[in-house]
Amino acid sequence: MKALRIMLVLAAFAVLAAVPWFGSDVLIQFGINALLLAVLAQGWNIIGGYTGYASFGNSVFYGLGSYGVGIAMAQWHLPFAVGLVFGVVLAVTFAVLLGIPVLRLRGHYFAIATLALAQVMTAIVSNVELAGQNIGLVLPPLNNDRLFYELSLGLLVLATLTVFWLTRSRFGFGLIAIRENEEGAEVMGVNTTLYKTMAFALSGVFSALAGGIHAYWVTFIDPESAFDISLNVKMIIMAVFGGPGTVLGPVVGALSLSAISEFLSSEITSLASLFFGIVVVVAVVIMPRGLADMLRRFRKTGWRYFAENIRTHRL
Amino acid sequence: MTPALEIRNVTRRFAGLIAVNDVSFLLQPREILGVIGPNGAGKTTLISLISGTLAPTSGDVLFEGQSLAGMPAYRRARLGIGRTFQIMRPFPGLSVLDNVAVGALFGHGGGHAKLAKAREQARAQLEFVGLGKFVDQRADELGGPGRKRLELAKALAMQPKVLLCDEVMAGLNLVEIDEVIAVIRKVRDAGISVLVIEHVIKAIKSLSDRLLVLHHGEKIADGEPDSVLANQTVVEAYLGKRRI
Ligand SMILES: Nc1ncnc2c1ncn2[C@@H]1O[C@H](COP(=O)(O)OP(=O)(O)OP(=O)(O)O)[C@@H](O)[C@H]1O
Ligand SMILES: [Mg+2]
Repeated sequence: MKALRIMLVLAAFAVLAAVPWFGSDVLIQFGINALLLAVLAQGWNIIGGYTGYASFGNSVFYGLGSYGVGIAMAQWHLPFAVGLVFGVVLAVTFAVLLGIPVLRLRGHYFAIATLALAQVMTAIVSNVELAGQNIGLVLPPLNNDRLFYELSLGLLVLATLTVFWLTRSRFGFGLIAIRENEEGAEVMGVNTTLYKTMAFALSGVFSALAGGIHAYWVTFIDPESAFDISLNVKMIIMAVFGGPGTVLGPVVGALSLSAISEFLSSEITSLASLFFGIVVVVAVVIMPRGLADMLRRFRKTGWRYFAENIRTHRL
Repeated sequence: MTPALEIRNVTRRFAGLIAVNDVSFLLQPREILGVIGPNGAGKTTLISLISGTLAPTSGDVLFEGQSLAGMPAYRRARLGIGRTFQIMRPFPGLSVLDNVAVGALFGHGGGHAKLAKAREQARAQLEFVGLGKFVDQRADELGGPGRKRLELAKALAMQPKVLLCDEVMAGLNLVEIDEVIAVIRKVRDAGISVLVIEHVIKAIKSLSDRLLVLHHGEKIADGEPDSVLANQTVVEAYLGKRRI
């Protein structure tokens, strides 16, 4: 059973890795977007899914990662890798400085506080000369979509292995304990402030790397798109759709929702976003704990699983 | 001998209400100290002040002679203070085993680094409190009595030097109460100092080496169980109103 699952994951990985060698340009470009969204969903999973803090601040990490690469390459003429490191440093600094006060808030208050951060960052970056103010930055182009694709896939693998490690490490157990009952975790010896901040920062590292890769790929960034809050909404929907607090759920959620959304927008252009919304609402109603939970329970309870979920919503 | 705990003139106010009022007492090594008092007497607040989930308005708590002033709860846990919650705080989505493993992973001295070791210890702890059959169940599927034992197992897995129990026998039947009493005695025999809050007078009387009575946040008696329970003030304040 376990061996079978590992084989399946490896096979899926091999297929994904091979896409740029047989797929069309359009498919590769779709793939880069989908993989980066999966990285974002997986990054959000660390703070939102495992630690239980629904962060709306992850698009800020993404924006900082974009600007790290943007500033390093466009302004300082440094290599891409240095830009990535710079973006990660910005994101981690942000996570530590803002995480400590903001992570004291719980539930809705935390969500609202982080929601405001993206707005503030857009305003700040729009006024920083080094960041190109509200005009943005143009990066030196690199026409190599295969490279961007494999880089994004590599990052997704790294993020997923990190989350896998969480499920069997002391650190990850501390995070889960915080999610399940923070006061209970604290009196059992979990340094909750430190752990929450570290989870926020780790989540930020992956978002920043995704932002950095994306910036170099599209060769242009501006404050509005780099700190776009709707990106944060997307990663939450994808992670929750797949199964928050599971290793593969957010990846499967991001890839499948990206595919659905792409299919809809090519087939029925005008109504695509409406249909996408319907897909998400229906999913939340019939499988509120995500795909991962659905697959696990469906085997035991069959179709009753959906009926029960609908009943608990009192529809 | 240095006491395991020293409570020194501790007071805690909540906006106008004095929940704990200038209370002082000692908990000696390997002692079982019972704490009783009517509802709202300040018993739970007292435990929270020792474990660090609440800070005292004034006064100090010393652990093995060392002041705990300003020390966060997780560091007190690592020093060796374990507590249970009257309003239980399980990790509902985790298995019973992993609930307890958290105590072994963190807990006194920083706990085990390895998950496998922690689970092994958690399993032994669950056997010890009589939950051996429930290791794989989710914690939120346990019934009330099971959850009380789980609270105890979680605290014990931390390998504490001082164990603070907040009504771990509430809602248990007579057989279960005897089982928990036996568990606490064994814990003490293993060298742990125990503070037990309980409403079941008969149980606490047989279990405690010493008895302390709180009333309106004040300590009104502290001594040998038999003499404390015969004390006139105690009878008027507390026992007179209860069926024993
Ligand atoms: N967080 C709080 N905020 C305000 N008042 C509180 C708080 N916690 C406790 N109190 C009050 O302090 C007093 C003591 O409460 P505490 O819970 O310590 O009593 P107790 O002796 O444990 O009672 P019980 O036997 O019902 O468990 C009560 O009047 C209670 O209402
Ligand atoms: Mg109480």
